[in-house]
Amino acid sequence: MFRKVFVLWSILIGFTIFISIQSYTQDAPEVSAKGKEVYEHSCAHCHGIEGRGDGSAAENLLPKPRDFTRGLYKIRSTESGELPTDQDLFDIITDGMPGSSMPGWESQLKADERWEVVSYIKTFYDGFKERETPPREISLEGKIAYSAESAQIGKTLYTDLGCIECHGNVGRGDGTSAPTLTDAWNDRTWPANLAENWNFRGGTDTEDIFKRFIGGIAGSPMPAFEGDSFLHFGLSSEESKRLSEMENKDEMTPEEEEESGKLYEKMDEAVLVALDRAEGTELTPEAQKIYDDAMKVVAEKSWHLANYVKSLSPEKRPETAIGNNSLRSQYTVEELPIIEDEAWNTLEDSYYPLVGQVVIEPRQFNPTIDSVRVKSFYNDTEVAFLFTWHDRTHNIEVEENEDTGTSYEDGIAIQFPVKPPKGPTDEKPYFLWGGKKPVYVWQWKASEQDKITELTVKGVNNVTVQENQGDLNVKGEYKDGEYRLWVKRALTTDDKKDLQLEPGVFVPIAFSAWDGANGDKDIKRVMSSWYSFVLEPVPSSRRFIYPPIVALLSVGFLIGLRGFVQRRNSASDEAETEQ
Amino acid sequence: MKRISLFTICFVIFIACWVFLQFVIGGVISKPIPNSVIGMYMALVLVAILVHVSVEDSRFKEFLRPVYETLVDDRYRVRRLVLVIVIPLLLTGFSYTNLAQKTPPPGDPRDAHPTPPLELKYKDEVIETMQKAQNPYRHYEKDDPETFRSHVENGKKVYYDNCFYCHGDHLDGQGHFAHGLQPLPANFQDPGIIPNFQEAYFFWRISKGGPGLPASGTPWNTAMPVWEDHLTQEEIWDVILFLSDYTGYKYRTFGEGH
Ligand code: HEC
Ligand code: HEC
Ligand code: HEC
Repeated sequence: MFRKVFVLWSILIGFTIFISIQSYTQDAPEVSAKGKEVYEHSCAHCHGIEGRGDGSAAENLLPKPRDFTRGLYKIRSTESGELPTDQDLFDIITDGMPGSSMPGWESQLKADERWEVVSYIKTFYDGFKERETPPREISLEGKIAYSAESAQIGKTLYTDLGCIECHGNVGRGDGTSAPTLTDAWNDRTWPANLAENWNFRGGTDTEDIFKRFIGGIAGSPMPAFEGDSFLHFGLSSEESKRLSEMENKDEMTPEEEEESGKLYEKMDEAVLVALDRAEGTELTPEAQKIYDDAMKVVAEKSWHLANYVKSLSPEKRPETAIGNNSLRSQYTVEELPIIEDEAWNTLEDSYYPLVGQVVIEPRQFNPTIDSVRVKSFYNDTEVAFLFTWHDRTHNIEVEENEDTGTSYEDGIAIQFPVKPPKGPTDEKPYFLWGGKKPVYVWQWKASEQDKITELTVKGVNNVTVQENQGDLNVKGEYKDGEYRLWVKRALTTDDKKDLQLEPGVFVPIAFSAWDGANGDKDIKRVMSSWYSFVLEPVPSSRRFIYPPIVALLSVGFLIGLRGFVQRRNSASDEAETEQ
Repeated sequence: MKRISLFTICFVIFIACWVFLQFVIGGVISKPIPNSVIGMYMALVLVAILVHVSVEDSRFKEFLRPVYETLVDDRYRVRRLVLVIVIPLLLTGFSYTNLAQKTPPPGDPRDAHPTPPLELKYKDEVIETMQKAQNPYRHYEKDDPETFRSHVENGKKVYYDNCFYCHGDHLDGQGHFAHGLQPLPANFQDPGIIPNFQEAYFFWRISKGGPGLPASGTPWNTAMPVWEDHLTQEEIWDVILFLSDYTGYKYRTFGEGH
């Protein structure tokens, strides 16, 4: 008995120790040969043998692999200006940076190998060795849970704090400064699209987003909201509101002048304290209090903001429209909805991820368009589609720019086979612009919003504009970083080179899109491989006829079977008695 | 205790086989098995059971006894009643769901590893017959390890300049573009890939890509590019060296059975 209890307890205690070690924030081990080996095997081709971010693969990549010699790290749990903790580095190596080419290494490197490599990359920057005190970590105290009100407060702050200038009105990364941003390494960079949080580099939890505000994203133009960069730093929410109120007046009364002057003094004081602190000066208790009060307001606002950002995106990347999830055009007896119609909101989006075209030169290694989403209705004679996709910039012509290079026109192309395959084994045309088998393409360009050019394409160098144009009704628009394109067409046309549609028959569909500001032009583009869609037939009325027949037949069969068995039994009984 | 009837035993075996295929093999051990394949195996199981019970007359009688009894014996009236209700109900439900189902999307029946052509070609130049073609740099592995390393390193460079977008940093087919491609890029960490093919086979797949797949591979809408348009022969052989060096798997060499 005693032995059993003992064993049980040891297991329990062992387990607790194991768990606590697992979750304990760890420091990296001493630098070892192992770390170097892992680094050179798994990281050096991107980050460079000497950690300068200049590995052989770096040339084509944007964002560039991190240059470890400058000590700038985007994803930290530490305050602005601080280096990351070892745990931060470990986590980012484990999880990778979505939306960039930095992969997660959880599946490939064991935890101790990841720790070794953390130690190794720290050797590239002396700042890690020289730091005497541990980095100041961001406090997550006072988290404000998500609520519609909190998100609403966040929304106001989003405008007041100037997020809008980079991230745009509704967060799609289309702010006015978006096309001009460069990072600390002088490479072009784009504000995150807050409506597609699966591409956030540092995670999608409210805490993750909160840390990005407080600590900033080092090296990127995204400001850290601490110290003087923060709107009304040092004022309480009420004081801040009052100050804006007074400043928005055409003319202030002398009392108001005085009041606002006082508030400005208060702000200056707080900013000075923050600067002192950043320089490492020991704060007096009063100064510490000023700082703490000011940061409390900053934290509160940041939680609201984080809640707002959270509200802008689906929880995760939507499921791709493939297999049972394929796009099903919905039947309606009515007139098909126009682009503005509310009826579109009744349908779910079908999500098609787009990726860089890396098959034919010139290739697009760093796509900026994530996906295209599609909805569709059809009736007895026509079909209508609504395509939407996000693009941070509205480019309608070729533009030269000294800093950012040449940009081209935006657009999209929707591709179908000229002849739908007869069965699943029938070969489809080549997914990228056709080949021996031609594809039928709707090409839309941002400069001509209400027009689609119908093409027949048999490969990159064999594009013909169809003679018969004008079978399509088209309307396009760009607003807040989103293109919407509406297309209506007859189910069948007289043109043999067009696609003919029939309910219940799956038809392959593929997409290409161009973000001119990202250098997309002609074959350089983002694209998808083949998917398929169907005009979903109205469910067959046979479903009410056949099942009852089946029921009757099966009951009949069972009764018949019993009769048969009974007859045979009595027959054999008779035979037995006769014997 | 009452003896369990032969019919019940067979029934239980049948169900157990199905559970095994559907959940154990198709869930725990590997990926879900398509229904059509399960159907085929279950048909085999059924035939096997029928053969087993019908070999001897007495066994067959014993097998059918519960069926007879249920149908006619007055002791089993309740069971009979339940079956007369349940069986038609199930069939009716089944036919209804079948008819009300959404149009099923087309499947993708394709051969991911079709038989290669007889001759290994780079563009139009014939290198060797597929059987005999060898990686010309493989022998350095023994003869001159340093030269061999430089070829592997070059292969690594080729890989990260061209392939990792799709086949992934880890060579596991999960590159950051893979989610946008159907069928998915090949996973070289899969133990069933590299060890089953010769280097020449890989040379063929890499140089000719998706468009070079023979008719038996259709519908070959894979995104695998035609690398002879971008890479030299040496670069292709080098990247082949890199794939096995990084994953630790060895290619099949000619002579090991097929
Ligand atoms: C395919 C190229 C590639 C490989 C291989 C790669 N990285 Fe990265 N890494 C990147 C890119 C690109 C970034 C920058 C992403 C960004 O700035 O958004 C990055 C960023 C980082 C960062 C910075 C995170 C931050 O907070 O700023 C660390 C640390 C890092 N990588 C470690 C590693 C380690 C360790 C390995 C090897 C185990 C590795 N990387 C392998 C491409 C790569
Ligand atoms: C000067 C332009 C600029 C301003 C102003 C700006 N951002 Fe950003 N933001 C960026 C850039 C650029 C990135 C991309 C950083 C990267 O990944 O390198 C970014 C990234 C982000 C991210 C994604 C973080 C991640 O993990 O990838 C969030 C969330 C965000 N910003 C929210 C905000 C909010 C909220 C505000 C206002 C308080 C704001 N930004 C103000 C430029 C800006
Ligand atoms: C655009 C994405 C893409 C790029 C880039 C790419 N591949 Fe592929 N690759 C694929 C796809 C998709 C397949 C097909 C998988 C299938 O048929 O199941 C494939 C298949 C293969 C196969 C055949 C494997 C087999 O099991 O038969 C090899 C070998 C291969 N790729 C090597 C390479 C090499 C080497 C490179 C770089 C020089 C490369 N790939 C670049 C997408 C890509």
